[in-house]
Amino acid sequence: MSNVNGKAYAMNVVTPMKPWKQYVLRFLFFLLRTFKPLQSKLINLSFIEFARWAIVPRDSFPRLSLAQEKEELSYDYLFFFSNFNGTWNQYIDAFSAVLSTELNLIWRLSEKFPGSVPVTPFKSYITHVQVDTDYYYNAYPNATANDVKAAVIVQDAVDELARKNASLSPQQFAEAYLAFVLQVQAHLGETGEPPVAC
Amino acid sequence: MANQNGVMYGLTIFSPIIDDDHVTPSHDLQLREYFASLPTGPESPFAQAPFTHLARLFVLDDVVFVGKPSKEEHLKSKYLIFESNFDGDLDTYLMGLVRYAPEHVDATWSHCVGYPGIADAAAFVRYMKACQLETTFYFAAVNSQTLTQTLKALQTQRLVAEFIASHQASKPAALQHAFAAFLMELRAQPLPRPGRATIERTLQTGGHNE
Repeated sequence: MSNVNGKAYAMNVVTPMKPWKQYVLRFLFFLLRTFKPLQSKLINLSFIEFARWAIVPRDSFPRLSLAQEKEELSYDYLFFFSNFNGTWNQYIDAFSAVLSTELNLIWRLSEKFPGSVPVTPFKSYITHVQVDTDYYYNAYPNATANDVKAAVIVQDAVDELARKNASLSPQQFAEAYLAFVLQVQAHLGETGEPPVAC
Repeated sequence: MANQNGVMYGLTIFSPIIDDDHVTPSHDLQLREYFASLPTGPESPFAQAPFTHLARLFVLDDVVFVGKPSKEEHLKSKYLIFESNFDGDLDTYLMGLVRYAPEHVDATWSHCVGYPGIADAAAFVRYMKACQLETTFYFAAVNSQTLTQTLKALQTQRLVAEFIASHQASKPAALQHAFAAFLMELRAQPLPRPGRATIERTLQTGGHNE
């Protein structure tokens, strides 16, 4: 079991849903996908690298052979996969504190979801419906989502200064370099090993 | 398409695991044993094959019963779930897995129902697509960068910090000259290997959680 690789945690959550509710949920996700401002809280929770929800209707589990028994389920299932930075508790606490309304809209459609506030029954529920990861790969294990965002800003700034460089006098370059340093100085945090919780 | 967000593709694969009473240990247990022995760093098959940012594999033994009054039910098959976040298109990615990590593909999906093997890469791609589930909503914090661009940017960020720190009192002409040399050095740097820790940290801050 390896839910953690470097600074990323892999979470898998599986919850049952009455079949008619999938249509409501699909509509909610359509709104979330279409109207980008609705994603602002998710974006501001800047420790999420990648996350996805997948609705799996009860008759949609892949069946690759007639010898494979056909599933006979009465619920549809909502799968949530997240790649986040930090600890499980920090993640659930932040979700509960910042995204409670949105999470309630999504997971209230799952059976027995207690609501994301108060946090204690929410954590108990997530613990119950979470499935551990057997293998987790991370291409940049020492970098968080914020590190990647910062690195992209630095890269863009370097590329911009490189483009200007050839046409500038030393004095003009010194001024452009100062502006460059001011632009990137908040984005130079060092990546490295994750802290070890003792 | 919900599977994509910018250049990123969110792949979700559910492969039914072979249920054979005559096989010991069972196929799901063999998979778990294999995953436990698989390297997660630069030697990982996902580092050998291109484009993967983060990926996971796990066995779904059953669905979860959340308590009454909901109904208790069970899956008839166990499923191997493969969740991957990569850049590019699906066919190229799956072909890359076959090309660069064939032993891993075989060692993993040979425990699954209907796996056609890797001799015919196109058949493998068709098999994976038959096991694919559509993502309903996909979020990527950074959706504009390929893996190569991300690794390069992280490398640049570290080297820029070092450059700035070591050129704080330089005169304009010397600074410009040093920056030009720095750019050449930056371009000559080999791309960091995916899955590799970026740098050994020498700064010791101490404390339980730092």
